Amino acid sequence: MKETNLHELMGKLMGTEIKAELLRLFHMNPGILDTVEGIARRVGRMPKDVETEISTLVELGVLRKERFGSLDIVSLNTSKDREIMKKVAALIEGGVKG
Amino acid sequence: MRAPTGISELDAMLHGGLMRGDVTLVVGSAGTGKTTLALQYLVNGATKFNENGLYITFEQMPAQIYRDAASFGWDIRKLEAEGKLRVVCTSPPVLVQFVESRNPIDAIIAEINAKRIVIDSISHLESFIPAPELRGELYRLVNHLKMKELTSIFTAESHEVFGNHLVVTGVGLSFLVDCIILLRIVEIQSSLKKALTILKIRGSDHDKQLREFEITPQGIKIAAAFAQYEGVLTGTPRKSFTEETVSAWTKAFVGKP
Repeated sequence: MKETNLHELMGKLMGTEIKAELLRLFHMNPGILDTVEGIARRVGRMPKDVETEISTLVELGVLRKERFGSLDIVSLNTSKDREIMKKVAALIEGGVKG
Repeated sequence: MRAPTGISELDAMLHGGLMRGDVTLVVGSAGTGKTTLALQYLVNGATKFNENGLYITFEQMPAQIYRDAASFGWDIRKLEAEGKLRVVCTSPPVLVQFVESRNPIDAIIAEINAKRIVIDSISHLESFIPAPELRGELYRLVNHLKMKELTSIFTAESHEVFGNHLVVTGVGLSFLVDCIILLRIVEIQSSLKKALTILKIRGSDHDKQLREFEITPQGIKIAAAFAQYEGVLTGTPRKSFTEETVSAWTKAFVGKP
C-alpha cells in the first residue's frame, strides 16, 4: 500500500458500512475460516452484498482468499492486518502530533 | 493409551480418560453443558497434559466462546497466543473439504501439533449435507481424524429435553463413534438437575451409573449417582423402593418390621 494519508487509508478500510462490519467481525473473531456465503450469514447480509467488499479487503491484504477443493475460503491475514493497524496507529499519532 | 479429560470424576468413570485416537460423541439437549465439557477437555489438555487442541465451531462465534470460557477462568486467547489451542469458526461445507488432500484445517493441526479436536456441533452437518451422503461423509471424517491420531469429541444436539424416547442422532452416528457420553436434564423434587452417563466405550469397561453434575465457576463437577431414583433417563424419575424404605413403611403402617 502506498497511501500515507489517514483519510484515504481509512476510506479504503472502512469506506462502507459492510466493510466496517467485516473488519469488526474478523478482528473480534480472528479464527473465522469460511466461504463468502458463510461470512455473509455471520454479518446478517446477503452474499452478493459482501462479495465485492471482501474482494476489496483481500486486495488491501487484510483478508486472505484461498481455493481449497471446490471452495474459496476467506480468513484474516493476521500479519498483514497487524501491519496495516500499525500504519493506521502511526498516521493517527502523526495527525495528533501535527 | 488414555487421554484424560482432566475432569477427575469423569476420568474415573471412563477408567482413566478417553481412549487415545477415539471419537467420542457428547449428546445432550440445549443447555446441558456439551460445549463446556468439550472446552474443558481442550483447556485441560493444553494446560495440564501438554496436548494442544483445536476447537471447531459452526454457529457460536469465537468472541462468545472467549467470553464464556473466561467465566470459568479459562483464557482461550492466551492459549491461542501460546500456540496451545486454536478456535476455528467455519461452515459445514468447509469441514467436509477437511478430508481433501490440501485443506486449511489440516494446516492448523500441523502448525500447533494438535492432539485433541472438538467439533461443536456435528448436528449442523445434517442441515448442509444431503441425507443419503451424510453417513458416508461422517464415516470419512471419523477416519480422517483417526488417521491423524487425534482424540476427538463431537457434540450433538438431542432435540428431546425430557421423555422416554431417546434418539442419539438420526444418521447412525452412534455406530460410527467409539464412545458416547449422554447429558440430560432431569426433574427431581420440582428441581431441574443435570445427569451424565456413559452409554458406550468400544473396547473398554466403564462406569454405568447415572451421575448428577453441575456447571460450577470452575467448569463441570460430577457428583454422586442418582442412587435413590429410578427412570432418571426419562427425565421424570421416581424414588426407588429400597429395602430400607420398605422396612420403614412396614414398620409405620403394619406395626412390625
